[in-house]
Amino acid sequence: MKNIKAFTMPKWGIEMQEGTISEWVVKEGQSFKKGEIIALIETDKISNEVEAEFDGVLRKIVTPSGQTEPVGALLGVFGDTDVPDGEIETFAQSFEAADTGTAVGRNSDSAAPAPVETSVAEAPAPSAPAISDTSFDNLNISPKARELAIELQVDATQISGSGRNGRITYQDVHQASRPDAAVDLGGALPVPADDESIFASPLAKRLAAMNGIDLKGVTGAGARGRSRKEDVLALLPDAGARPQASLAENADNTPQIVEMDKIRKVIAKRLTEAKSTIPHFYIRSDFDVENLLEFRRIGNKVLSTKASLNDYLVKAVGRALVEHPDVNVQVHDDKIHYYPHANVGVAIAAKSGLITPVVKNVDLMDISDISRATTQLIKKANTGKLGFADLEGGTLTISNLGMMGVDQFDAIINPPQGSILAIGGISRVMTEMEDGSGEFRSKLSVAMSCDHRAIDGAAGAKFMATLKSMIEDPELFF
Amino acid sequence: MAELMLREAILQTLFAEMERDENVVVLGEDIVGGMGTEGGPEAIGGIWGTSTGLYDKFGGDRVIDTPISESAIIGAAGGLGLTGKRPVAEIMFADFLGVCMDQIWNQMAKFRYMFGGKTECPAVVRMIYGAGLNAAAQHSQAPHGILTSMPGLKIVMPSTPADAKGLLTTAIRDQDPVIFLEHKALYAEKGEVPEGEYTIPFGHARLAHAGEDVTIVAAGLMVKFATKAAQGLAEQGIGCDVIDLRTTSPLDEEAILDSVENTGRLVVVDESPPRCGLATDIVSLVTNKAYASLKAPPEMVTSPHTPVPFARELEKAYLPSPGKIADAVQRTLAWK
Repeated sequence: MKNIKAFTMPKWGIEMQEGTISEWVVKEGQSFKKGEIIALIETDKISNEVEAEFDGVLRKIVTPSGQTEPVGALLGVFGDTDVPDGEIETFAQSFEAADTGTAVGRNSDSAAPAPVETSVAEAPAPSAPAISDTSFDNLNISPKARELAIELQVDATQISGSGRNGRITYQDVHQASRPDAAVDLGGALPVPADDESIFASPLAKRLAAMNGIDLKGVTGAGARGRSRKEDVLALLPDAGARPQASLAENADNTPQIVEMDKIRKVIAKRLTEAKSTIPHFYIRSDFDVENLLEFRRIGNKVLSTKASLNDYLVKAVGRALVEHPDVNVQVHDDKIHYYPHANVGVAIAAKSGLITPVVKNVDLMDISDISRATTQLIKKANTGKLGFADLEGGTLTISNLGMMGVDQFDAIINPPQGSILAIGGISRVMTEMEDGSGEFRSKLSVAMSCDHRAIDGAAGAKFMATLKSMIEDPELFF
Repeated sequence: MAELMLREAILQTLFAEMERDENVVVLGEDIVGGMGTEGGPEAIGGIWGTSTGLYDKFGGDRVIDTPISESAIIGAAGGLGLTGKRPVAEIMFADFLGVCMDQIWNQMAKFRYMFGGKTECPAVVRMIYGAGLNAAAQHSQAPHGILTSMPGLKIVMPSTPADAKGLLTTAIRDQDPVIFLEHKALYAEKGEVPEGEYTIPFGHARLAHAGEDVTIVAAGLMVKFATKAAQGLAEQGIGCDVIDLRTTSPLDEEAILDSVENTGRLVVVDESPPRCGLATDIVSLVTNKAYASLKAPPEMVTSPHTPVPFARELEKAYLPSPGKIADAVQRTLAWK
């Protein structure tokens, strides 16, 4: 009885109601190791891999591939090989899905019942967000570690604690929640091991070795005749230039091969899919942001906020999207989802990689709200705390590389969103004014990539025109 | 509850334990304190007044004045422990640790291990330690760091009269050698002490002051300074957990880590010089096991790497103080 565990439909994000098994990677009767992929599950928003959280055997598949089931429904049964088939059957028959009507998970203080806690199941099913206040009742874990485990939905019962008597610390949970480390190793140096018969500084020995100079018998200018860097440099035929050239010749430039981490793999997979399946077309324009820059300076003072230029762009894009419902869309195969309000994605170069959280209902927010919201998302992104809810629902993402000194670039659409804006840098351009005079004005380069399946060229162009007029005349708009 | 000085709490506890168990024997230099007398009522009970009246009550077989040889005191205590007694030896100044180091480090601490776990040595060594009383470099040191680094010993550093009583009772009843460090500048410290017998388990720290922002770890006299600093900081809205370790071996790791996980900032106060000591030990524990929680580099407030100076002004400048501790707390809060 002990080693039977339910595998249920996971809940990814509060909006997820049901999911479809797109593929069973592990077949019925097959064993699997912790970390191996058990199945691929599709929701209306994403397709994701379900990883095993322990070693085990998939004894029974309850839900075949292609079938859609609500969150919490029994998909399969894990059990040791010595558990008789009859018990597995009884378990599958008597399984009752927990009520998933309310969101379980992040910051949830209520002791929500774990979806899989039945009379026989002893551990939560993999990926099912079932970590609640009561999950660690008999565990040697610090209070902060427990809080973090509930917040990040980490199954702390699987952690071997580093504290005294195996106590689980905050750090243990934090580490368990992070992707595998990708260390950029320097490796061993191509310098011979220390030669004690030479009296020289380590740097001098290294330079000598790299330049093929024998320091034996050389008396340096350092204390007690120790050879220093200067002594070695003086021995070079062409003092000064040589060491660098030799360093370049001798440098070991073998590439270091690193397996992509999970986040990198997801980014790679999604972008490949987007660029190869979405018919992109591009609209480019330069916006005169002279007025907006001044407007922002004063506006931030008046509102006592520190909103970035990007926050102002988010605001304008939100308004323009609502004015152009045919651009404010998501594309799901042959269905177009039109949104009444504007959810705008913001591309963030987080420590772990590119991530695009979404600011919701931007059209209803003022600039200080937006600034707060983006600051919050950036903070969450950098601490790896973004949830699925933060990432879904967008129709357009703003990707800004202006601060990196980029003039302009094109971006790949972040599916299922309908379009993406690539914001370049601001340059000072001599411009002909209405009265025929010339003036240096600040120009912002903007390139929009649209999904032609849903957005036509004219629709995209009209959206750009509205956005341009808002940006160039901020006082009329904001 | 009675308000007692720490030295009175020690004396009461010795009295009570000797009365409870006839195997308890105290020995040390001048602990009868009867120089020039036959013992008896005139005996002052040692220069610290922590054994006053014991001779009168329990007699010369159980209250033993020894020759001036720390090695002999500890050797005798170790032997008494091995043969079924519960000796409480006194080293008048912990600084004399050096001359009895073999007996402590190589004998007492090792008996249980050298005899394959078949023997026990329930000896207590009371050592009077610490600076602040203008006693100069050879009578002011705090050797808890050296002792804590020795496996086989339990190291106790009480900071209040109530703790002194509970911890000394535990020490006398413990089956292993215990070093009981009494700070000479705390002897006159007053505090409420519960009536009757009670024990305080080793390895259980005390939260002397509670706050959300910075964790201060201290032991012995430093707990008093840290608490004073924490009280001042509290008026500025800065909350400090002050953890009184009580015993540096065993160490209450959970109390330290749990607090740092909550505050993210650590200040360790140590009366000893900074190298290879209690402060470095705690900082290393926290950086190793609570790195993920730290919001600022841990701070150490210790004496400088120099012997305790004799001049009053220099000695004052030498020791950690509430002001120095508060400054360190502010540094952890100012970390950007």
